[in-house]
Amino acid sequence: MKFGKRLKKHIEETLPEWRDKFLSYKDLKKLVRLISSGQPSSVVEAAFIQLLDAEIDKFNAFFVEQEEEFIIRQKELQERIKRVMESQPSEAEYAKEMSKISKDIVNFHGEMVLLENYSSINYTGLAKILKKYDKQTGRLLRLPFIEKVLEQPFFTTEIISKLVKECESTIDLLFPASDQKSQQGEKKALVAMEQTIFRSTVAALMTMQELRKGSSTYGQFSLPPLSLPDMDLLQSFHLPSPIPIL
Amino acid sequence: MSSSLPIIPTSMEDNFPKLPDAQQVSVGRGTRSNPVAPHYASLISNTSFAGPLSSSSPSFSSDVHHSSFSSHERNFIARSTEVMWCADPIQDILEYSNNVTKGNYQEQSSSVMLPDDITRQDEWWTDMMNEDWKELLNDTTASESQAKAVYKEVQTSADIPVKQPQIHQSIPSQSGEVCAAPSSSSAVSAAAKPRMRWTPELHESFVEAVNQLGGSEKATPKGILKLMKVEGLTIYQVKSHLQKYRTTRHKPDSLEGSLKKATSADEIPSLNLKTSFDLTEALQLQMEVQKQLHEQLEIQRNLQLRIEEQGRYLQLMFEKQSKLQVPSTSDPSTVPSDLTYSAAKVDLPGSSQAGTEVSADAKVIDGSSNKQQMTESCNPVDNKANIVAGSHSSQCKGGA
Repeated sequence: MKFGKRLKKHIEETLPEWRDKFLSYKDLKKLVRLISSGQPSSVVEAAFIQLLDAEIDKFNAFFVEQEEEFIIRQKELQERIKRVMESQPSEAEYAKEMSKISKDIVNFHGEMVLLENYSSINYTGLAKILKKYDKQTGRLLRLPFIEKVLEQPFFTTEIISKLVKECESTIDLLFPASDQKSQQGEKKALVAMEQTIFRSTVAALMTMQELRKGSSTYGQFSLPPLSLPDMDLLQSFHLPSPIPIL
Repeated sequence: MSSSLPIIPTSMEDNFPKLPDAQQVSVGRGTRSNPVAPHYASLISNTSFAGPLSSSSPSFSSDVHHSSFSSHERNFIARSTEVMWCADPIQDILEYSNNVTKGNYQEQSSSVMLPDDITRQDEWWTDMMNEDWKELLNDTTASESQAKAVYKEVQTSADIPVKQPQIHQSIPSQSGEVCAAPSSSSAVSAAAKPRMRWTPELHESFVEAVNQLGGSEKATPKGILKLMKVEGLTIYQVKSHLQKYRTTRHKPDSLEGSLKKATSADEIPSLNLKTSFDLTEALQLQMEVQKQLHEQLEIQRNLQLRIEEQGRYLQLMFEKQSKLQVPSTSDPSTVPSDLTYSAAKVDLPGSSQAGTEVSADAKVIDGSSNKQQMTESCNPVDNKANIVAGSHSSQCKGGA
């Protein structure tokens, strides 16, 4: 499947509020095609670069805003856990609070990872469209431009990564024995599937695998294929989105 | 018709005596253009292709009414620069592409306008122009010739993408916690809102300040700002952060909660004392998948960084090689004072960029044979068998 189509599919499967924040790959591709059609290319090329800059601004704005919220939420979760611990609850109370908190932590973790994925997909799209542009125009926009992209806020995901890891260690700390798998696994999996975040995560993994499968334009700037454990299990989770896209 | 033709080119020149200069100043500074779209508008104004004219531009049409044909056309060109950004220029260009494809346009156009092109240009003009403008021209052939003349002007104008280095500078790069928009054009476009990036540490001191002031409801942005004592932090930024902070506290982590209240009600009764201390199986599974995605993303990101790093390194090698081997014939502009931009300045698509395929339509300016050799040995078509990016460098080095 071509990237544009893959991207569109991924957008459909991802969090609804994020859908218009992704790369306008189609528009950029149209511009590149326009260039090759031989019309006053300098104008179209200018439009292309303009759109690229605008898209990057869009990514940065969205990403930084989400990042800010995540930082706040992280602190709040920590505070919440502290409060529960300090209130010295009974076992039943503790269990009740912890189940709520655990759900929130896991979902919070999921959202952050999806943001990382957002960053990654947009980067991939940019790299691809720049490659197309260079090919059509014979220019050398890709290399210097991509370098700038690497420094952009939306791609420098260190803070989010740190928060994700903190989440994981919190979970491990609070819920140490969370490795057991049982026959009930499948049923619970279906319950989990209904949750948007989980579904988006699975979709993201599938997308990543697809994108790296190898294509006709495989070159030395391409990534190696992805191999995930439990790929079959994941694929069984990959149901079509029930949310209609209008 | 032909009598009007001589007039048009000269008037063009009158309008744009500084067309080359204008282009040089174009990107970094929005000239007369809307701060919101500096690069694009200034670039468009320089080419004056009168591209995406909005049919809903009132100021434009009123001006048009007041002029005779030749000076009017002068006005038109001048006005078009101001009007250009009103519409969504990119949208219009995309519409244009639709129009063109409708007309079954397939040829490569050269600087000589073919009759087919003129018809399509006309189509495009009639689509884009507003009614008043059409009336004034009163003559489709007149618009054709004008389009043709403008088109020729564009053809002869200097290459805009050569100015790429300046364009790249306009992409803001963030470093540190608080950044004012670094480049001039983004400074214009960012207006009162230099983008800031919060960190956990900053937030920590924010929360401390808020607590000292009696809580999120009582604390004021001014007070917080004072207590935090962070240089460069504006009250506006503190204010918006405080707002976010307040909202988050009043609505803790309810993205999934609000959607799936039913599910959680089902899950809680099924907990017994033992499993209540562990995550439910569903959560475990979710966590597992999320962890995997995160891990893969990290790996992927590091790979991407390394790939680009290698690309830069290889390019550096190419440049050094070419300078060593062909010092007399090498293009003087390849002096890599800034390596990353030299690729853009020198129009050598195939040879100086590692990994690009040597395509037939590459415009090679410097036909240095050494460069050709290097490129061919590093042609990615050969490397398709190598899946791992890391093996590329060894391949290329072997070819040198």
